[in-house]
Amino acid sequence: MHEYLLSLLIFLPLIGALIVLVLPAGTFYGRSIALLIALLQGLVFIFILAAYDTSLTGLQLAERARWISLAMGTWGEVRADYFVALDGLSLPLVGLSVFIFIIATISSWKVEKSRKGYFALLLVLNAAVMGTFCAQDFLLFYLFFEFMLLPMFFLIGIWGGARREYASIKFFLYTLLGSILILIVMIALLLSTKSSNDTGTVVHSFSITDMTNSANILSQSVLDPQRGLELFGISVRVWAFIFLFIGFGIKLPMVPLHTWLPDAHVEAPTAISVLLAALLLKIGGYGLLRITYPLFPDAAMQLSWLVALFGVISIIYGALAAMASKDLKRLIAYSSVSHMGFVLLGVASVTTEGAAGAVYQMVSHGVISAMLFLLVGVLYDRTHDRMIENYSGLSSKMPVYFSYTLLAFFASLGLPGFSGFMAEVMVFLGAFKSNGVNGLIHESFAIVATLGLVLGAAYYLWTLQRMFFGKYHFKSSTENTSLVDLDQREILMLLPLALITIAFGIFPQLLLNFINPFADSFTETVLQTGKAIQAIIRP
Amino acid sequence: MSLQSIYILSALLFSIGLVIVLVKRNAILVLMGIELMLNAANLNLIAFNKTVPASLDGQVFALFVMVIAVCETAVGLAIILQVYRHYHTSVPDEINELKG
Amino acid sequence: MSSQALFSSLVLIALLPLLSALVATVIPASHRWITPLASSLLLALASILSLLLSISQWNEPTLVWEKTWFTLGESTVTAGILLNNTTLVLLSVVTFISFMVHLFSIGYMAGDKGEQRYYSILGFFTFAMLGLVLADNLLLLFVFWELVGFSSYMLIGHWREKDAATAAAKKAFIINRIADLGFIIALLIIWGHTGSFSLTSFNFEEQEAWRTGAALCLLLAVMGKSAQLPFFNWLSSAMEGPTPVSALIHAATMVVAGVFLLIRVFPLFTPLALDVVVIIGSSTAVLGALAALHQFDFKKILAYSTISQLGLLVAAVGTGAYGVALLHLLTHAFFKAGLFLGAGAVIHSLHQAQHSSHVHFDVQDIRNLGGLRKEMPITFFCFSICAAALAGLPLFSGFQSKDAILVSVFSWSGDQVWRQAFAWTIVITSVLTIFYTVRMLWFVFFEEAKKTALLTIQEVPTIMRIPLVLLSLGSLWWMVAFHPLDFSGWLLDSIQPNQEHNLFITWLSLISIPTLTVLAFLWFKYRKKPTTLGFLQEGYYLDYLNSLLVTKPILAMSTVSERIDKKGLDGIIHGFAYLTVGLAHLLAWVDKNIVDGLVDASGRLAKGFGSIARSFSGGQIQSYIFWSVFALVISLFWFLFY
Repeated sequence: MHEYLLSLLIFLPLIGALIVLVLPAGTFYGRSIALLIALLQGLVFIFILAAYDTSLTGLQLAERARWISLAMGTWGEVRADYFVALDGLSLPLVGLSVFIFIIATISSWKVEKSRKGYFALLLVLNAAVMGTFCAQDFLLFYLFFEFMLLPMFFLIGIWGGARREYASIKFFLYTLLGSILILIVMIALLLSTKSSNDTGTVVHSFSITDMTNSANILSQSVLDPQRGLELFGISVRVWAFIFLFIGFGIKLPMVPLHTWLPDAHVEAPTAISVLLAALLLKIGGYGLLRITYPLFPDAAMQLSWLVALFGVISIIYGALAAMASKDLKRLIAYSSVSHMGFVLLGVASVTTEGAAGAVYQMVSHGVISAMLFLLVGVLYDRTHDRMIENYSGLSSKMPVYFSYTLLAFFASLGLPGFSGFMAEVMVFLGAFKSNGVNGLIHESFAIVATLGLVLGAAYYLWTLQRMFFGKYHFKSSTENTSLVDLDQREILMLLPLALITIAFGIFPQLLLNFINPFADSFTETVLQTGKAIQAIIRP
Repeated sequence: MSLQSIYILSALLFSIGLVIVLVKRNAILVLMGIELMLNAANLNLIAFNKTVPASLDGQVFALFVMVIAVCETAVGLAIILQVYRHYHTSVPDEINELKG
Repeated sequence: MSSQALFSSLVLIALLPLLSALVATVIPASHRWITPLASSLLLALASILSLLLSISQWNEPTLVWEKTWFTLGESTVTAGILLNNTTLVLLSVVTFISFMVHLFSIGYMAGDKGEQRYYSILGFFTFAMLGLVLADNLLLLFVFWELVGFSSYMLIGHWREKDAATAAAKKAFIINRIADLGFIIALLIIWGHTGSFSLTSFNFEEQEAWRTGAALCLLLAVMGKSAQLPFFNWLSSAMEGPTPVSALIHAATMVVAGVFLLIRVFPLFTPLALDVVVIIGSSTAVLGALAALHQFDFKKILAYSTISQLGLLVAAVGTGAYGVALLHLLTHAFFKAGLFLGAGAVIHSLHQAQHSSHVHFDVQDIRNLGGLRKEMPITFFCFSICAAALAGLPLFSGFQSKDAILVSVFSWSGDQVWRQAFAWTIVITSVLTIFYTVRMLWFVFFEEAKKTALLTIQEVPTIMRIPLVLLSLGSLWWMVAFHPLDFSGWLLDSIQPNQEHNLFITWLSLISIPTLTVLAFLWFKYRKKPTTLGFLQEGYYLDYLNSLLVTKPILAMSTVSERIDKKGLDGIIHGFAYLTVGLAHLLAWVDKNIVDGLVDASGRLAKGFGSIARSFSGGQIQSYIFWSVFALVISLFWFLFY
């Protein structure tokens, strides 16, 4: 059954969504089915782990089936495959997704408004996320990537807060803009690459593996480095890189393309915020590592400093904006911007440490941000108020809640012993080493980025001081019976997350076993191919 | 009695029936008008059959028409009754769901 | 002892406090009385174990246990234990002082709301500190370095409802974080240039600039943790925490972690970097001592004294005499912990007395105290011994270690004038130390009772006396060497043997220190009114500078960035959106009035016909019938007559 594990992972939630839709409205079965599906996916993931061999580099558990095949006469054949597989980049993210969907489903347990639609959309989103992380065919990837927008738009737009329409439309338009840029590059790539082993007719395949291989670039095509096509004085390949960078940068999100994120987070219901922060942002980093860098290594080597610069700006700017936020959820949203900046910095370094750190940071941020948003949700459920200034001395009223918040805040600000620290250290190591090893980015980027750690500590500790310490009061009234401590369902969600971030903080090898081969091959491929192509451009 | 007078009687009956159907608002009366028209037709059928004595076609037809008229009346009354129950009226004009 | 057994026992020593933390967390509130006893017991075990271990392993060759922690590409990062004499000294000091503080806390924290939380974090701190001491590489050391900072944050802010305490906790953590950037950057430099995190060998391949850079960055981290010059204001605010915590964390162990780090990575330091170390250390020493002389808060005097002593330690490392620094670290740990616990005892019994008599005043303000030597004789006695060690009186451990520092500083300075200037600041610091120690002693114990006269004060309970007595015993000369005037004893001979002696300095100290002490007593006796300089009392307005140069600009920047987000970036987005919507409206108008106009005209035509046709179908059966009959008649006419 190994050969169908990934398909099972992707299609289980779709089947679940169908079942939920068929069931009569108003029952509680929807959420049970959603949870059941999520747990089944967990089981499937365990099988995947068992079948996955960490000693190998490259794609594993591949499934490939002919999907679209269009003969275009003498020009060749367009082919898109149903091609799903996992490697050291996909696997940790797929694992994260499976895990976070279980948590998000539990967190949605008390959704009241049209449950049926909610859980059906949640399951559709689940399938799309899994598909995005598994797909190795650009068209398939793009399909899943776009497909994610639809459930997300409705989940924010219908189940969201007061300004939900504004937020969901902003989210939708932003992401769509990014998608269009990616689409343009995808078409350009299709036109200028061929499949590795085609006999006779040229097969224009969407397979990312084929596109990565620089030998597959058709001569005299749009993206042919030898042809050296230019647009406004900049090489087309560089444009393609920039388009992909912006496209995935919006998703990441990177300053200054991030303003959809705080709004979307503030308006989205808790579970959707969790999914948004923990999984959807990761697709930006995933795209950079999977597509942007390997496909345009020459442009990457030219522009890595720019990527790193945006990373550093995101780190600092996100932290500063977080500090000024008065809304707790907004603060955490901005902290996400800051933390995803580390991913950019790590990727830009193109070193083993940096690439591994970027993937590590994605997983770690997934877990920690999920925890943070759940915690905000806990408070919001009780009081319908997220304003920091309205609370004081919560630690005496809700001690267990305080403990979890303390843990999550310190995990997020990068205290050693939590996964975030490991990730950030690796990113720093990579970014600092880069200049000496491959000369892509200067040491100062890493040094400036460390300031993000101080700012992180500052806004989290300030929040702790304002909300949790001092004498208890809530909105000037000292009595509020609704402020009860965590219940068992909430602990059930938070405890696994806490344990995982600690486990990954103390035993990084758990994750690095998977990431290391990928980080190695990523660095090697990008550097070698990049140099080879640059040699063609400037002989 | 000449056939001509029978024709005239039947034409009168038919006209009376038609006028009832066209002007009366009550569905029961309309039904009665239809009955008159059918009977006028029966009268005609029998009268015409007289010109061909060897055949009984006209009489047979008249019998058929009577049977069908009974069925039609029964169904029509049932419909009127149901309509009355539903709309509390037996005036078709007041029921205009099909109005374009 | 076999290597494996040794390793296991070291791990056990480190884990015992963690176990204590765990026990304190899981014990249900109904049985909370077990917590202090269980924790103290575990710590006692740890401290006995580490003492035995230290004795058995003393002067054995350095041992390293390493296990792969994680791999990054080609390189492997290990985690392990580095055991040498330095480790053993710190191991014993940390566990012993922690044990003393646990004992003292049984009395001090009795009845506190967060007692269990207190013990769990105290245990966690001890664990982290032991981890820091044992760590065999820089990354691991940094992990524990941050964890002790975290425990310090939790313990300073232990009284969560007290705003000053939580603010101090935040300040401590953030200032340390700023300084720790130095640590991170040093890690980056060392990893980038040597490819390992090793603590002992630094293979920089002739890149002296990077080496110095790494050393200076590490020094920055040390300046944060050990409260050196621009960062020391966190330590004086940290006094808002419970006093036993101040004794353990902010006097004896955590703050000396910086000095310990300097000793560990001593080979990294280039001569240039070492000179910077001395400059920082000696300036801190003299500034701290000056500030200590102008404090009225009992604990703040001790805090500034700690800052000053830490400055001495750092300066000693800078002169190359890391062994001497370790010696003073040891003696300082004992007498300063003793002083803090003595202060704690005073505060505790005064609080108790206030509780029963309902008279309230600030018990930490030395202007309110006085004459306590009669009411609290044992505390007074122990406190005096520790104070004498701090002042450096002969026969006390402080004399020997300070003597060693003076000797090493002067041997470092040689003939160079600027070096001698810094050497003399150390001398001035020693003199100032005598004065502030006597001042503190005078105002608390000797002066006639002021507001304390209103209270009936009792000596602290036995459980709190034991640590006081033990620590004051540890402040006597035999801790250093059997010869009360010679600093070369068991410790120095093993760590950094053949230290130069300077009999002139020793003899001069022997004569001048007691003389100065007597003079100081007379001075404070006849100069009744305590005075102070605001500049010094406020710790050189470092807090103010902090907020002016760091906090305010950052807050301003954060407001600006938020505004950019809301007004700028979102403004652009909204602008685009309005533009698009406006364009859409324009197009809609064109569509409606021009394009649709044509369509509408044909539509209307159709509609006209339609309405005629519509009138035939009025929904009335009879009109249908009428029209059909009419049509029938017409067609009949048609068929018949045409």
